[in-house]
Amino acid sequence: MDNAIEMHDVVKTFGPTRALDGLDLEVGVGEVHGYLGPNGAGKSVTIRTLLGLLRQDSGEVRLLGGDPWRDAVSLHRSIAYVPGDVSLWPNLSGGEIIDYFARLRGDLDIAKRDALVERFELDPRKKASTYSKGNRQKVALVTALSSDAELILLDEPTSGLDPLMSTIFEECVEEVAAEGRTVFMSSHILAEVEKLCDRVSIIRQGRIVQRGTLDDLRATTRTSITVSTERPIEGLDEREGVHAVRDDEARVRFEVDNDQLGPTMEFVASFGVVSLVSSPPTLEELFMREYGDEAHVEPVEEGGER
Amino acid sequence: MTATATADVAAGSGVRVQPAPLAAFWRQLRFIARRDRVRAPVWFAAVVGLVAASAVSVVALYTTDEDLQSYATLAQANVAFKAVTGPGYGLDDVTLGAVVMNEVALYTYVAVALMAVFMVVRHTRAEEETERAELVRAAPVGRYASLVATLVWVSGLVMVTSVGLTGAMLAVGLDAAGSLAFGAASAAIGVVFVGVAAVAAQVAVSARAAKSLGGAVLGASFVVRGVADIGNGWMIWLSPLGIAQAIRPFADERWWVLLPLAAMAFVTTGAAVVLLGRRDLGAGILRQQPGPSTGSPRLGTPFALAVRLQRGALIGWMVGLALTGYFIGLIADEAEALADNEAVAEMLARAGQGSITESLLATMTLMVALIGSGFTVSSVLRLRTEENALRADPILATPVDRRRWFASHYSVAVGGSLLLMLASGVMIGFGYLSATGRTDEFLPVMAAASAQWVAMVVLGAFTLALAGLGTRWALLGWVGLVAGFVVGFLGDTLDLPQWARNVSPFEHVPAMPAAPFDAAPLLILAGVAVAFTAVAMVAIRRRDLG
Repeated sequence: MDNAIEMHDVVKTFGPTRALDGLDLEVGVGEVHGYLGPNGAGKSVTIRTLLGLLRQDSGEVRLLGGDPWRDAVSLHRSIAYVPGDVSLWPNLSGGEIIDYFARLRGDLDIAKRDALVERFELDPRKKASTYSKGNRQKVALVTALSSDAELILLDEPTSGLDPLMSTIFEECVEEVAAEGRTVFMSSHILAEVEKLCDRVSIIRQGRIVQRGTLDDLRATTRTSITVSTERPIEGLDEREGVHAVRDDEARVRFEVDNDQLGPTMEFVASFGVVSLVSSPPTLEELFMREYGDEAHVEPVEEGGER
Repeated sequence: MTATATADVAAGSGVRVQPAPLAAFWRQLRFIARRDRVRAPVWFAAVVGLVAASAVSVVALYTTDEDLQSYATLAQANVAFKAVTGPGYGLDDVTLGAVVMNEVALYTYVAVALMAVFMVVRHTRAEEETERAELVRAAPVGRYASLVATLVWVSGLVMVTSVGLTGAMLAVGLDAAGSLAFGAASAAIGVVFVGVAAVAAQVAVSARAAKSLGGAVLGASFVVRGVADIGNGWMIWLSPLGIAQAIRPFADERWWVLLPLAAMAFVTTGAAVVLLGRRDLGAGILRQQPGPSTGSPRLGTPFALAVRLQRGALIGWMVGLALTGYFIGLIADEAEALADNEAVAEMLARAGQGSITESLLATMTLMVALIGSGFTVSSVLRLRTEENALRADPILATPVDRRRWFASHYSVAVGGSLLLMLASGVMIGFGYLSATGRTDEFLPVMAAASAQWVAMVVLGAFTLALAGLGTRWALLGWVGLVAGFVVGFLGDTLDLPQWARNVSPFEHVPAMPAAPFDAAPLLILAGVAVAFTAVAMVAIRRRDLG
């Protein structure tokens, strides 16, 4: 078993809506995998299908080598889950809820739990009805992170957390990853994904439109260059792979496809470089490009709808 | 205060602005009306329709003066009758109107009060719990606008329903003054419970607790007026239901009795408004107490959680039904004294063999079982609540089979129902013991209660099967309970054909202790319950969750 998660050509419809529309997804064992996409793209449906809460209409889903629908119970011994919308029993305390889930999984680790409760500064005595969204999120995170699950599924895990708690969450994920466990997390916080994830998949309208390591993704996209030269650069606009040229006398800014980076640099050098700043694309730029009007990167799938 | 400031601004600018505490009142009122555009007509139709149907059946049943006279004799002599219908105003010089009132008035008042409690909590604390109220209050909406709009809206609904009730009485041919008094009494009790519910919504720790508190006040006023009607007449003044009855429609109406109800409504409503100004949004006057910081090792299975979640409700139901049972036991023996009464003899003949006490006990056990089925159905429906609130997902993401999760709440429903029936059975026995010093009704009543439990399980399994098919079907479980009530208590008066009566599982349970034990129908009922359960367990494995 090389992959913790394998989904192939998965379709899931709700009436006329195609929530998953031929989804292909692979997550390797021991990987921290980021799952990006705008609201309504199908992130939660993917995760709920992986949990066997929803059954796909067609396609194949394998989770830790099993069928998440048929083998739900046995697979769930090795899984922890943080839902995107954490809903708790209002009249139970946070501590009771954390321990309840641990006992259902059968892996209550008191020391680990206490340490996490302290790190996340959660008051476990408060009734769930009095928790804020962030605190409900903490209850779910402590529940998942205190488990010894092989695979942790996180649906927008930091959506209610303050920056301080998000940092602690990142530390916790790094610790889990260091133990060789697999983490699959959907997120909107691109900086967090960039920091934590080995590989990312980007979903749009129920299909994966981009996947790979961040380096892979960067390779298929553009680098931003800001350069000052002795002589004005002429003919930059016409060169292959060069985009968005802005010339404001003192310096020139442009973007260049990474496969044209070498030739472009040689061309620019011929005008006598005084200073040069190059920045690799951030995930945010990748993301915006994928969803912006000007879709630059070719989709992974042949004939993907735009 | 802001109110004054805004008022000054308004006066200065010449623009008509509502005082700030009620800002956006009309908008809120329209919004509430929009949200209730289905629910309000359903309540109206259910209350007016059921009362009208009962009135029609009473009118059809008592056609001669002789009929009326024999009803009056029975009702006045029988303490059990008084306990569950009222003191029997107007039966001395009996009229058809008085008989109709004796049969339907008390339950009409209870229904209107329940409508008020549910509707008020729905638009106040329940809104706050979903955090929708926060969105509303973040807009330029006055602190009191939602509450006052709710009070106005639900009071209006109560009034409209009361007009419908008056119309129903006129339609069956009763006189205008009595019909009007009945409508007025319904309106008054409704408005009192609008106030009671509004206070409960300010005080209780949650919306659910607020509904329970409102229901508890209603239950207490029912019991207090029962005690008053049997003996201590002055105690009716402690019970809004008792006072409402004392308006005496069709029995020399006493209009001034509306005044104490109006005063109660005024005081409770005012109290709710004052309390609203003293509490935080989403929190009651009573504070949520902190809980344990760790979970008990016993809270480690879906069943344990289901018990924990339903414990409070089950205890509440148990106390209520146990009290009811004790009461039934106390009065059961009184029936014996009537054995030589002609009307009673006739009733006896209908009930089959057995003494009059036993017939009464059989009917009362059926009533307890039907009321207790409210727990059975609502308990199974917890599954729907859990699924809709997305609390089922994380449980089913652990190594818990869907069937095991389904079985958890279902077991509580089935086991809890048995506890309810046994508790009320024991208390009927104790009541009988305190009244007569005899212990010989303990076992027969316990057996009768256990037999009725089988029918409750069928109802629970039916609801479970619906929940298995999908959350949107689950609420139809209540239809099963309504069918049980209609067949059990209106079957004769509505003259339902036997095939229609057979729909109710309770119809098949031997009417013990008046009738002998019969295993066959109970085994068939058990088989039906097993079949429904099997359908549920197959269905829940096949569908998407949530």
